[in-house]
Amino acid sequence: MANADQFKHSFREEAREILVDLESALLELNDNRGDPELVSRVFRGLHTIKGSGAMFGFEDLATFTHNLETAFDEVRDGRLQINSELIDLTLSAMDQIRAMLEEGAEGAPAPDPAVCAEILAKVRHLTGKPESRHKEKKTAAPTLPDAVGGPMSDWHIRFAPGPDLMLCGANPLLLLNELRELGGLSVKASMAAIPPLAELDPERCYVSWEMVLATSATPDAIRDVFIFVEDNCELTIEPASNPVSSAASMPASDRAANIARSNATSAPACAADAIAKALEDIRSPSGGRRVYDKADSASSLRVPAARLDQFVDLVGEMVTVQARLSELAARSDDPDIAAVSEEIERLTAALRENSMTIRMTPIRATFEKFRRLVHDLARDLGKNVELTIEGADTELDKTVIDRLSDPLMHLIRNSMDHGIEPPERRAAEGKRPTANIHLSARHSGASVLIAVSDDGAGINSEAVLARAIERGLAAADTPLTETEIFAFIFQAGFSTAKQVTDVSGRGVGMDVVRQRVDSLRGSIDVTSKAGEGTRVTLRLPLTLAIIDGLLVSIGDASFVLPLANILECIELTQADVERANGKHIADLRGELVPYIRLREHFEIRTPRPPIEQIIVVQTEAGRYGFVVDLVLGNCQTVIKNLGRFYRHVQVVSGATILGDGTVALILDPERLAQDAVRAITQATRGRPTPAAIAAAVKQGLRERSAAPQKAL
Amino acid sequence: MGIALEQSENSSTIRLEGAIDIGSAAELKGHLVEALGAGLGTGKAVRVSLAGVEYLDVTAVQLLWAAERAAKASGVEFAFSGEAPAPVQASLAETGFEKFNATMDAI
Repeated sequence: MANADQFKHSFREEAREILVDLESALLELNDNRGDPELVSRVFRGLHTIKGSGAMFGFEDLATFTHNLETAFDEVRDGRLQINSELIDLTLSAMDQIRAMLEEGAEGAPAPDPAVCAEILAKVRHLTGKPESRHKEKKTAAPTLPDAVGGPMSDWHIRFAPGPDLMLCGANPLLLLNELRELGGLSVKASMAAIPPLAELDPERCYVSWEMVLATSATPDAIRDVFIFVEDNCELTIEPASNPVSSAASMPASDRAANIARSNATSAPACAADAIAKALEDIRSPSGGRRVYDKADSASSLRVPAARLDQFVDLVGEMVTVQARLSELAARSDDPDIAAVSEEIERLTAALRENSMTIRMTPIRATFEKFRRLVHDLARDLGKNVELTIEGADTELDKTVIDRLSDPLMHLIRNSMDHGIEPPERRAAEGKRPTANIHLSARHSGASVLIAVSDDGAGINSEAVLARAIERGLAAADTPLTETEIFAFIFQAGFSTAKQVTDVSGRGVGMDVVRQRVDSLRGSIDVTSKAGEGTRVTLRLPLTLAIIDGLLVSIGDASFVLPLANILECIELTQADVERANGKHIADLRGELVPYIRLREHFEIRTPRPPIEQIIVVQTEAGRYGFVVDLVLGNCQTVIKNLGRFYRHVQVVSGATILGDGTVALILDPERLAQDAVRAITQATRGRPTPAAIAAAVKQGLRERSAAPQKAL
Repeated sequence: MGIALEQSENSSTIRLEGAIDIGSAAELKGHLVEALGAGLGTGKAVRVSLAGVEYLDVTAVQLLWAAERAAKASGVEFAFSGEAPAPVQASLAETGFEKFNATMDAI
């Protein structure tokens, strides 16, 4: 059943989020051990994971979590004290829960039964209770209501599963059991909606339930039980004193029975009313939406990222087609077409803007998960470190966020291991015994700045330089600026660590940071003061889907160079070439800038124009000029990936389609400069030429746009 | 484990064993329709044996309920033979299907 898998998938996603929140709640709890609000947060997180896990068939996970939930139940009741052991145990348990969630996924660590058993044994030792299974019948008063601490009250709950609820793998009967854990529950099933046998869809749930729940839990806590099916059911939760059940003095079970009976028996009498209401619903502007589709049932939607990517892709194609339309409209004299074209241009721009904001998500979840890393590393390294977070609500493209986790992890590990001093050294230097790592994010124009700073020892630039000279990366006699020296840190295999530890020192991490930031078209800035600390700032584009570029042409081919790297454009005449004695060097107001003729580099065999243009770009290795025929102007383009076949072509970071339908390749100046320098010494035969890549991209696009028609 | 339909001269018996849930709902419906069809005009009764049931989910309950209604409407005798085990009955009662075994009317 594909639907069941889909539902499990969505449970996994929800659970992952809950785990992130749980983890930060636990770590906060570690600092504020008496905070009942935090204890409740942890308890509710565990409770939700357990309940929903059981519902979606993660039985082991539910049983395991149940034991932890019991421990936090005791903490809430004051029978158990929060201590480091319980927090560490729960944190390790989170890892196992995560593994159980991801079990079977490629590359995911499998849960370790031995570790699980050990954790449970220790938890049981703390609580002094035997192992219990979550399915065990509650005999006496239920445990959860105290959590919420409110007065006991009766709630009338009506639960009618939507048509697809069963197909999604959810079992309404388990939900009722879950509800029973909140308090005294009386249930009455209503069979009124079951059609005659012949018309009955065997996999659909027609039964609905009327319940009265006596609990001290809040309506929100009751609603939480239905959290995973809320979009797929009709759910009303009302105080039972509501006119619906006027006989409030009756025992709850009788009241529920009454409600159910009145619903069942009054059905025929109300048929005319019901039909009138149904007709009204159909006539209403919402077009007779189902109640469980109502707007207030979900203020946000969970959409698979792939579907969003597809949407943005389509918007990208729309932008391209719109550009062609504008061009055609400009050529035609028809004012009507011009008017329609302008309207479409306006709408497309709004659509593009909107589609980009949909992909924007706050970086909070990524930041928060480092609390655990800092906590664990601090314990392992015997250092006292606090993590502070700033600007967690800063939004950036989901693709960028997804790829940011690894580099941030390496930066933090590096700070923890090399930057922050052992407590005794901090004490000797008169520093605060608890060190600080600060993670921050903020917008700056079309970029976002993510910084990792620490108040540790700072980078020893002399040691870095010495190591660079030793490795032949720098000449002993060339003076280098601090920025140039710090750049060595990001070289592959570069490490000044005398000892390789579990945490860092292999010289791999920082290289990963640079590679990842490069692939995100970002840059790294390092500042450091001896004795005061280090700050590494990553400047990243807000989105990877659109690029501001300069459109240039060589012969018949068009290329886009990212505007971010471009410093200026200058002319290159025959006289300039002769003045330089045929050397590929331009005189830029006295500064000599080497240039690369892209025509030659890409083997484009068309005649050279008398006056060419040099685009001067800033790369890590310094300034370079790229010679092209013509500069066509600025353009904001939607980036298309080249596809797997060309993934090794690093000088091209993507492609875009121009208004006239031709493909322009987006060049990566950094790689292009490296490639050109390498090409001087190596034969370049066998490399795919840009014309071949452009033709292949176009062919791919044509096939893709033809695909839906084939499907019809 | 599962569902079996046994035909005899006077009755069609549907024997339910193990967990009867959404996975076997389509099969159960098929057997119920077949048994009811066999009873039409022949006086052949429909018996549903619950003795070996370990779990009934909501799809099974609503099928049995609809089958009983259909039998009543078409004059076919319909009855449960063999009580559902106590835990199954208890779990049904907990989820609002009271007196399941006594008579389907009570549901």
